[in-house]
Amino acid sequence: MYQRRFSKERLPALSNISFEAATGEVCAFLGPNGAGKTTSISILMGFLFADTGEVRVLGEQPGDVRAKAQIGFLPENFAFYKYLTAAELLRLHLALAGTRDAGADGLIAELLLKVKLHGYEHLKIGKYSRGMMQRLGLAQALLANPQLLVLDEPTSGLDPAGRNEVLELLHTLKSEGKTIFLSSHILPEVEQICDRVVIIDRGRLVRAGRLNELLAGGSRVEMIVDAIPEYLDSVLIERGAAIERGPREVRITIDAAGKREIAELLWKAECDVISMNPVKSTLQEFFLQMVGQREGTA
Amino acid sequence: MKVRAIALQTFGSLLRNKLILLFLAGFVCVVLLMMSPLLMAKSMAGTISVAQSQGWVLSMLSGITSFVSGFGSLLAAWAAADAVSTEMRSGTILAVMARPVRRWEFLLGKYLGVQLLMLVYVLAMFALGYLLAWIGGQAIQSTPWVPIVYPLVRYAVYSAIALLLVTVFHPVVSFGIVPVISVLISVFGPSGEVSFVPRWLHAAFYAVLPSTGLLSETRFLSLTRASLRPEPWTHHLTALVYGLDYALVCFLLAAWSFRKRSLSRL
Repeated sequence: MYQRRFSKERLPALSNISFEAATGEVCAFLGPNGAGKTTSISILMGFLFADTGEVRVLGEQPGDVRAKAQIGFLPENFAFYKYLTAAELLRLHLALAGTRDAGADGLIAELLLKVKLHGYEHLKIGKYSRGMMQRLGLAQALLANPQLLVLDEPTSGLDPAGRNEVLELLHTLKSEGKTIFLSSHILPEVEQICDRVVIIDRGRLVRAGRLNELLAGGSRVEMIVDAIPEYLDSVLIERGAAIERGPREVRITIDAAGKREIAELLWKAECDVISMNPVKSTLQEFFLQMVGQREGTA
Repeated sequence: MKVRAIALQTFGSLLRNKLILLFLAGFVCVVLLMMSPLLMAKSMAGTISVAQSQGWVLSMLSGITSFVSGFGSLLAAWAAADAVSTEMRSGTILAVMARPVRRWEFLLGKYLGVQLLMLVYVLAMFALGYLLAWIGGQAIQSTPWVPIVYPLVRYAVYSAIALLLVTVFHPVVSFGIVPVISVLISVFGPSGEVSFVPRWLHAAFYAVLPSTGLLSETRFLSLTRASLRPEPWTHHLTALVYGLDYALVCFLLAAWSFRKRSLSRL
């Protein structure tokens, strides 16, 4: 609950949010601005406390040092001590993680190389660009070989090349078996790596589940036929079909409910139906559909 | 290791804190201004009697050391309040607290960082005292630990109070309350005489407020001779343990208050 100072008014920040992410999964935490993503992440990290309900992170209470020892965290709008250099900051975080000094230099150099900040290790952080700060944030998140990565907008402030590098890095981490929980607004990128999706809006859970299951349940079907007579175009369009003529085939996209009728029409016109498959929507389409539905019902 | 890392980082941040540097620059200007009458008294030594000159010098010395000592209390309070609030305002606390650091460890690191700053301040204050005594033609013959340890413990109390207040209030409010407490101490302390408040309220204030007078090194330093008054060691021990105990209670209260504090930006 949010409560303004000197006010009795209480607004629910989050309500009925329930989800889980399994070990080794990449879980995308999505929602429009102000949906409550950062608040949820703050609760997971133990920075804020939920009024009711139960939260467990790696089997421990949020904020428990045993859990935090296994977590790498990148906050949104990352802030650092600007008078430190990257190497000094990482050394400080190693100390905070309780790691001994032995091998620290090698580890720091390796991490800075990984996030493409080598050569800048002795520059004060205050002189870093937004993108460099984000890379440094990722380096500190990876510092203590965490089992779980919680990344709030990891590609924010990065140029397209930088975003690709972060995605590659996340792919590598995924292949190493790390569990990644990330929030992002760049859905096509998220779709490339995530296994599970949690969508929230206005503090409420909209949908949660495995990505392939959520996207497979599309309401449209695509038929591919070798050719169709021109007189059939208007008949199909009347029935809500979209026709796309290619050099060797014709693609007809229709509502799943009308697929039988269309198939019979094509059959009667002696068209050769090559394939018929459900149209898989993109994560972006699915997200907009889910959030749009709530807009409509609100 | 974690607490040490936070303490050293806090000390480094405080040394770069523009507001604290501004305070210190102002402080140096005031000390230099206050030194001019001292130097004048010294230069007039031939035209006025020795006793009169010595009286001037000693009163100047007393004024400057009191000012330096009082400024230290404000510095301790501000540094403690600022050390925590700056982290929350800038959001740097999130990266720190995402590490396996307990909240009390974070507060303890901040507190010890402030004490490091105050140690530097006290050593500078100590050197200034000797410098002023030398300029005034006096010699401080006291045991050095008294003018170092007593102010340190006193500042530990003030910074612990500010640390406790900043876990609840805005840093400016927390800093503002500390001078109010100082005034209350002077009013309700052993030397304070107030007739307009009920006895029970007076007794309550007397019990709750720290007795910083007890922790004042000037109790042992007789400025007329600038030498240490003979005191039994148990007396020193009792006074210092009282101060440390008060600071510990304030710190524990701060840790308790901070344990469920939202770490969102102020």
